Amino acid sequence: MDCSEPRMKQKFKLVAVIATVCGAVAGISSVTAHHSTTMFDHAKTLTINGTVVELRWVNPHVSLSVNGVINQWEGDKPAVWVMEMTSPGNLVRAGGWRRNAVKPGDEVEVLFSPLRDADKKGGALKRMTVRETGEVFTANLREQERPGLE
Amino acid sequence: MRYVCYALSLALLALVAVAVGSAQPSKKPVVINPAPTAQDWTDLGKLPDWSGVWNPKVTDQDAQVKTNPPPWNEKARKEIELMFAEEKAGRPRLIFYGCFPEAHPSWMLVTHNAMEILFTPGRVTMLGESDGNRLRRIYTDGRGHPEIPDPTFHGHSIGHWEGNTLVVDTVHILPQAPLAISEAAGVPNNGDMRVVERIYLADKDILHVDLEIFAPRILTKSWKTTRIFFRQRARKFDIVEGVCVQGDYAERIDANGNHVFVPIKKTEWGNIEVPKDAK
Repeated sequence: MDCSEPRMKQKFKLVAVIATVCGAVAGISSVTAHHSTTMFDHAKTLTINGTVVELRWVNPHVSLSVNGVINQWEGDKPAVWVMEMTSPGNLVRAGGWRRNAVKPGDEVEVLFSPLRDADKKGGALKRMTVRETGEVFTANLREQERPGLE
Repeated sequence: MRYVCYALSLALLALVAVAVGSAQPSKKPVVINPAPTAQDWTDLGKLPDWSGVWNPKVTDQDAQVKTNPPPWNEKARKEIELMFAEEKAGRPRLIFYGCFPEAHPSWMLVTHNAMEILFTPGRVTMLGESDGNRLRRIYTDGRGHPEIPDPTFHGHSIGHWEGNTLVVDTVHILPQAPLAISEAAGVPNNGDMRVVERIYLADKDILHVDLEIFAPRILTKSWKTTRIFFRQRARKFDIVEGVCVQGDYAERIDANGNHVFVPIKKTEWGNIEVPKDAK
């Protein structure tokens, strides 16, 4: 195994980031539930360009973590942001998502509304574009009501 | 003479045994759920077609927050007003916490997730997506409500058909179950809540649920509302399993190579929190 290969280096880097993001097992407050989304500032839209760390395809809220920089912030340093969405079933119906829409390491551009709490790097995902394929995924559950949906 | 004495003694014993037996309380017959007959299954075919995946019309839920508010009593109204203010300020109250079921009737009122409806002899079953714990059993076999309440999140539901409309009466709902008008506004019903529903197809692929909610501890009078569900039939939209508490865990592989769930940290609103030292 040649760990000096760029792909291997990238893999190890991703594993390290995943471990960091989800390693916060202390001080757990398990409050998962269905909730309003006004903790996000929907009047703002930021764009992050970066690599996928992980797509957590779980109920009640799917989340996507991305390691990248914010376009609108000049000189922004790479950081991990976690984007929240609706449930897997709703994403399939409303945004064309699937469990393997992206995998760790994929390059993506994500439009999102950030948390009002500026100390936390989180947001509500509005649109994700996969750079390699150009595929676009959205996350507005009310899109299910559009006419002509199968 | 000796034989006569024996015979008399036996007769006396028999009389005593009968007397003791009749003094004991008579046992109630066991009520059973009879096995469905072929005719029972055939009769289901005469019911309206409610198959498919039913999605809530969330935009109508949104609209009714303003257009059709419940007649809250003074105490509940103040609580709801505070919740609206908090939500507007970006601090939404977590009405549905801990992955408890949204409960009845809030599941019908504010859900953002699909459901399916199954008919079997003597029963209608509603199964919700997203939370594996969303399940309503509506008995249509003619039984009444239990004499001794055993409150649950979805209460005890009995139903009957009036033409193509299923009429459902639900009682014995846990007092903690909220009467919610959105995911950020609702108060516990605090007991004695009763819900009457009329469920019917309003159009080919539109299901209406007319609800009348009696919640004397939080409302000044009963509240009527209609909730709309629309049907999807594409197989790619089939209901999938959803376990709410799974959101509190990440899928990982432990030191022994086993696939395990590892708890993750959440914010007070349920969002996943990125640790400050994340690189």
